[in-house]
Amino acid sequence: MIHELRILPPLAIARFGSAATPMDNYDVVVDPDEPLGYRRLVPADTFELDVDSGEITRVFKPDAVTFVDEGDRVRPVAPFLELWALTGDEQLTGGGVLEPLTIALLQEEGAVVADLRWHVQVSNLKVVRRTNDRDDRVIADTDEFSGHDRRPLVGRCENFVAGKTIGFGHVQAVRPTAAHPEVRLRFTPAAGLVYGSNRAAAPDAPFPDPNVADAVYDAGRGGWLGYRDFLPSGAASSPNPTAPGEIYAGRRVRDPDGRRRQVSFGYLDDGCDGLVRVTLATSDGRTLRTFGRVGSGPPTYAPDAGPIRSVADELEQALLGPAVEPAEATFERVEEIVRRGLESVRLMNTAGWNVNPNLTGSDIEIMDPSLVDVVALTNLHQSLLVALRSGAAPWFADVLREPEEAGDMRPPARRKMPALMRGADGELLALTRRQIDLVRTLARAGLFTDPEPQP
Amino acid sequence: MISRIKRHLWPVLGEPIPIRPQVRGGPPPSTIEPETPPLELSGRDYAIFLLRLAAEIEHGLMVQYLFAAYSLGGPQVPDAQQAQVQRWQETLLGVAKEEMGHLVTVQNVLTALGGPLQFNREDYPHDNVLYESGFRLQPLTLRSLATYICAESPKNWDTPEAREIKRQAKVETGADVNRVGRLYEELITVISDPALVADSTFNAGSEVFQASWDAWGRGFRQGLPGTQSGEDRDPRDEHELVIVTVRDRASAIDALEQVGEQGEGFDSPEEDASHFERFLEIYRALAALSDDERAALVRRLAPNPTTHLDGSDVAPPGERTPTSTTAISNPQARLWAHLFNVRYRKLLVSLSHTFELAAERAAAGTGGPRGALINRAFAEMYNMRSIAGVLAGLPIDDAAPGGERAGPPFQMPYTLMLPHDEPDRWRLHRDMLDASAVLIERIAATGGAPRAYLAALAQADEIERGQLDVLNAATTPPPEPPPP
Repeated sequence: MIHELRILPPLAIARFGSAATPMDNYDVVVDPDEPLGYRRLVPADTFELDVDSGEITRVFKPDAVTFVDEGDRVRPVAPFLELWALTGDEQLTGGGVLEPLTIALLQEEGAVVADLRWHVQVSNLKVVRRTNDRDDRVIADTDEFSGHDRRPLVGRCENFVAGKTIGFGHVQAVRPTAAHPEVRLRFTPAAGLVYGSNRAAAPDAPFPDPNVADAVYDAGRGGWLGYRDFLPSGAASSPNPTAPGEIYAGRRVRDPDGRRRQVSFGYLDDGCDGLVRVTLATSDGRTLRTFGRVGSGPPTYAPDAGPIRSVADELEQALLGPAVEPAEATFERVEEIVRRGLESVRLMNTAGWNVNPNLTGSDIEIMDPSLVDVVALTNLHQSLLVALRSGAAPWFADVLREPEEAGDMRPPARRKMPALMRGADGELLALTRRQIDLVRTLARAGLFTDPEPQP
Repeated sequence: MISRIKRHLWPVLGEPIPIRPQVRGGPPPSTIEPETPPLELSGRDYAIFLLRLAAEIEHGLMVQYLFAAYSLGGPQVPDAQQAQVQRWQETLLGVAKEEMGHLVTVQNVLTALGGPLQFNREDYPHDNVLYESGFRLQPLTLRSLATYICAESPKNWDTPEAREIKRQAKVETGADVNRVGRLYEELITVISDPALVADSTFNAGSEVFQASWDAWGRGFRQGLPGTQSGEDRDPRDEHELVIVTVRDRASAIDALEQVGEQGEGFDSPEEDASHFERFLEIYRALAALSDDERAALVRRLAPNPTTHLDGSDVAPPGERTPTSTTAISNPQARLWAHLFNVRYRKLLVSLSHTFELAAERAAAGTGGPRGALINRAFAEMYNMRSIAGVLAGLPIDDAAPGGERAGPPFQMPYTLMLPHDEPDRWRLHRDMLDASAVLIERIAATGGAPRAYLAALAQADEIERGQLDVLNAATTPPPEPPPP
């Protein structure tokens, strides 16, 4: 018996692309012959979805990982959301089983695939977050559906020119087959286009702007074109601050109060996020419901590099708390953190950041300049990876920045790791408490075990 | 005793020089008062002599503290003692790091005075006339700790506890343990005196060649080093790493005073507790335990492990004296011990090489040679720690798999003199990589684990090898064009 439904993954992030064929799957792996090198992208099993039938027609492993199509268009990352069922008699005592929802499982419930009702609502609230005008919300709503044809995600907005919309991509409920009886929904994001307003962005700007896909925003109705953060005192709306501030396309002007302000060009994009809901009415009169989250963003241009503190780290901490269990503190997990540090160094102008006053609020060098060369820092991170592979307890917990130290701009604190980077709050980046605890726990555990070399 | 050192050392020992009768029935034994500077040496030369001796001693202490720190721990440590043992290990490692700071600060003073650097130190069998207790690598015991306390003790330390600790140290070593502070007192006296060391002796321009806190002080916040233990953080574990550059007499004296104070300070505020005070605290806690309880806190590492199999000082467990060494007869462990020695040499050569290169500003992607060497030195510290951990897991004698474990041998290379020319210096780095490669291959061929470490180390060495030519080019002036 199905007790509950789940969408897995509960959060899926799509990446823009204008190519017709979505990106193939790949794994990011450490090459055993080059443990200090950058990770390799290895082709992985990929579903081919027939758009017309809505069926998965084959599973294949591509010969190579290719991010663009023949026309050099970026291939979008279009995730599948899977519908799972919590079954089993022990569900009430915590012994339930999570298994993929299939045609057969539906049949046991006396239901068919057509009884599943999907409903996708996504929106782009970037403009309303600045203007505080609810009519600037761009929302796409599929209404409930149960077929297997593509459902476009049409973004509509009160302040758009009549008849104009922004396409957020589309969703398609996969039609289960005998070969692939599981229930899935695919979210394909938009191309990654820029949209504009129906008036020139600036007095001397070309109109229509050749860079915008369509002039959708009615500048006569809404205030996004010409909007500026930091409104004069007494203004009705107060913008939600961002760090750094004024993160929208515009031009710099000097206001009468002498301050430089960013005046919006009135641009929008086709990124979105929202909810995928599904309901199932069972033959015994119950209605099972669940939902998952989707979002879309730009392509990854460093796919073989991981950020040192990721959304996954945040979620893990939110879900599991700031402390790890001793058994979770493994060398592999600490190595993963150090490896992401190594991968980040590659992408940074470390010598430049070392003296960047925007980062530190000071023009005093953070590190000794002879040490921050990219080659030297790469070697240093590699030597940490080498040492961890000996089974040596990580000794570097004391150079990790504590979350409480993120705003400490004194020279010694600015040297802590991760160095030369800042977090979403604009302060110096710190690992999550859980990541720090992982390193510490492994260090503690190593002292009281017999040296047991890693194989 | 080595007369080339001791004949100049009487002023430090503060004792009259005894004159032994040369013929039977001759005049009775008498003494003469030592002079400062000793005959044969100028004031500057005497300062350099003392500094080189100080460097040797700091180096020796650092290595002994590291060995003692590595010995702490193991699965046999009772749960209730684990937090304390971890704190003690942090204390010992912290003090060892600070000794490293002292070592490079002394090199800075040597550099400013234009003296030859000293990264050498005595090796076992020990032979240091000042620190006569000798150089001994052994797991932490009450008595070994007593010798460290005596070495770091302040002047006029004479309480009932002091007498007991000195007695324990003497039992351990068979001799009174001299305090290192004497040497620094003499150094400060000599360097403070313009009649002995003239103002013109100090070369302010040498500062760019010296080790700076900024370049070497990573992981230690100035004044606020962190600790590993997180919530167990103890303010007493937070100490300053002393690395001082020297440009004139005042900064030289300041450097030596800071080094001396950190070693033997007395009644210091908690956050500035000296090595002496930190060791004393561990001693008191250890003294309150029974022999069995103390033994349960350390791994069974054999004392003075060496790759030297047939030395006259090699002795089996039942016949050991304080100066005996333990041969690493287990072939697998011996290969690792050789590898440890090569990496130790690499550390010392890298460290010493940095003093030959002026501080640089990194240009993106060029890999400045001095910064590269500093980072290499840290990488070798990590390697030594890693290999020490592997050795601690291997029996020192493969005929006794349940017996004592091997430990890091810290054997000195045959020389630490750098070649005269830059290309030859980089060639020396390559030679050490070659030696390492042979050892890595041999260990892997005999099934040595951890294989993942060996593979990663081999790759790191290959990367370094590839960078040596670039570093050489960056430090070697292009050849003169041939005459037309």
